Amino acid sequence: MKVLSYDDVELGDDLPGEIPDVSMLKVTAFCTAAKHVFERFVDHEAARKEGFPAAIVPGIMSQSLLLAMIHRWAPGCTVRKIDTVFRGTLLVDSKVTMSGAVTDTDDSARTVEVDLVITAEDGRTGVIGTAVIEFQA
Amino acid sequence: MILDLHTHSIKSDDGRAKVENYCKWIRKKEIPLDGFVLTEHRQYDSESDYRALEDEYNLLILKASEVETDYGHVLVFGVNEDLLHSFDFANIRLPIQTVLNAAKENGAFAAPCHPGRKRVGLFSHYELSGPISDVHTVEVFNGGSIPGEDELSVKQAAIHGYKGFGGSDSHVVSRIGYCATTFESDSITTVEGLVGELQSGSFGPISLRPEPKNTTTEP
Repeated sequence: MKVLSYDDVELGDDLPGEIPDVSMLKVTAFCTAAKHVFERFVDHEAARKEGFPAAIVPGIMSQSLLLAMIHRWAPGCTVRKIDTVFRGTLLVDSKVTMSGAVTDTDDSARTVEVDLVITAEDGRTGVIGTAVIEFQA
Repeated sequence: MILDLHTHSIKSDDGRAKVENYCKWIRKKEIPLDGFVLTEHRQYDSESDYRALEDEYNLLILKASEVETDYGHVLVFGVNEDLLHSFDFANIRLPIQTVLNAAKENGAFAAPCHPGRKRVGLFSHYELSGPISDVHTVEVFNGGSIPGEDELSVKQAAIHGYKGFGGSDSHVVSRIGYCATTFESDSITTVEGLVGELQSGSFGPISLRPEPKNTTTEP
């Protein structure tokens, strides 16, 4: 498999979109691994009692999913910066969609800046962000 | 000419778009925009000077504000010193009547944005508190709307006799131009000119959303 290099990337390129698994099973496994177990993430009923429509995907998991998407797109790259904004809830056991796009390139540093978006099942924007990715020389 | 009347840059607390990257994106993607308006949240950015970018990319870059009222969010075009002293732009519970009156008295143009959205949209407040008589124009196409919100905005705007415009409400670069406003005039070069064209009513909303690509996979 050809590994993406800096020279393969252009401003305007889309990262391959992904539908990550945010089932209760996966979210609970993530929260357990990250020592981030709170009822609002792992229990639909408890989350409803807190005012959420259902259990919600933790922000650190959303950011991790975006990082995984970047590394699947560009294996071997180094993510120099990732900055996410949590604009709305993403519900556990729903279908969410991740996307990204190259919005700037720096030939001297061999870095690219990408937009990152996670869209909720109903079309709301759940997470936005940017990342700066360095490619090997 | 076509302008995106609702965008955010890194000057907004939840914006992650650099203004130059907006320009590069518009040109690279050949988005048919002649310019855009930066409507930063709860503030007016009086410091930034984008004239060099305007020249380099041949785009009109204007500045405005998005303020928060008891009837939802409102875009204010034509912010000037007098208007800045009329109310606290950072207040998240401004009375909408204060904003509408101050804009009118100071030569600016105020219009509610994403009015079909729950909680932060004008029409959800109409259901609870009744209509506001001084509203005349609303953003009927918003790039951040979920299915049904813009349809509600268009329908309610028609019921109330409001003029409609469009804006992307972009917070990241790749969302600019999803929705925009087309003006009959080709000669808007300043924010005063924009306010004049908005007051004339010679404009309409357009959607420039890219076709969805069927390339999403489950890893």
